[in-house]
Amino acid sequence: MAAVVFFILLYLGLDIALHAYVIGTDVHSVALTLFGDAENFVEPMLLDTLLLQVHSDLFMSLFSLLILTSISIRLHGSRRIMRWAVHFVFVLGMLSAVTLLSAYFVGAWLIPVWIATFVTWHVLGFVLGGSVLKTLLFS
Amino acid sequence: MKFIALYKIPITYLLLYAVLILASGVWLFLLSQGLDSAQSLNHTLKDIIHTPEAKSVRGLIEVATPHLFAMGMLIFVAAHFMLFSTRVSKKMTAVVSLIVFGLALLDIFSYFAISFGWVVSGWLKLFALFAFVSSFVVLLALLAFSL
Repeated sequence: MAAVVFFILLYLGLDIALHAYVIGTDVHSVALTLFGDAENFVEPMLLDTLLLQVHSDLFMSLFSLLILTSISIRLHGSRRIMRWAVHFVFVLGMLSAVTLLSAYFVGAWLIPVWIATFVTWHVLGFVLGGSVLKTLLFS
Repeated sequence: MKFIALYKIPITYLLLYAVLILASGVWLFLLSQGLDSAQSLNHTLKDIIHTPEAKSVRGLIEVATPHLFAMGMLIFVAAHFMLFSTRVSKKMTAVVSLIVFGLALLDIFSYFAISFGWVVSGWLKLFALFAFVSSFVVLLALLAFSL
């Protein structure tokens, strides 16, 4: 169980790195990826490329969170905060994918929302995974 | 099993995520058939039936390979949660999940029949897609009922 959580923590870290490379790391670079820059001849991202990214992000976040939250519930289910942590991490994971796609249609003002939700669900995933590892390895 | 009420939370979110994954998958398929180029949905569906987009074997395998794993996993996980339910019988779970697995296979491989020229029209892919999505929605509805 500790090994699969360790793998998920590695996945979460590399997922942040992957999105930093593919989508961008700040509002300006994400806007450049999504909308392009006509003055500098930078093409905008194709809708099907973005949709494919969102499609696979939804699948990967669903399975990583299902495993992570199920183990967390088993080990820390008696803690009152666990219910809210599970709700929070799933909602943020879903919002992260939806806001990235929405930003493409609605506008750049949604990009900070995407960055915030994306970073927050990953951090919360780290916290859940870290607490599971702590219990499994040091208790 | 302890904390059963808490385990219902991830299962509920699985339903929501699965709907979003289905919707984005159907949208991706329609985009690949020309929906993006200022076509209406109706026009795109007619185009798929009469003149489906030509796809290489490499392109088909690139799509089929991850979907064989991902769809199989998603159906298995959704169906296995129903086995813990007392509201839906095990026989019903087995029958529905077998149907969904079968239709998922048909959906994944139906475009091969078009690309190899075994069927001229794209109706087979449309039928397979519609049948798979419908059956999977039934599976998700049963899972929601079993919560």
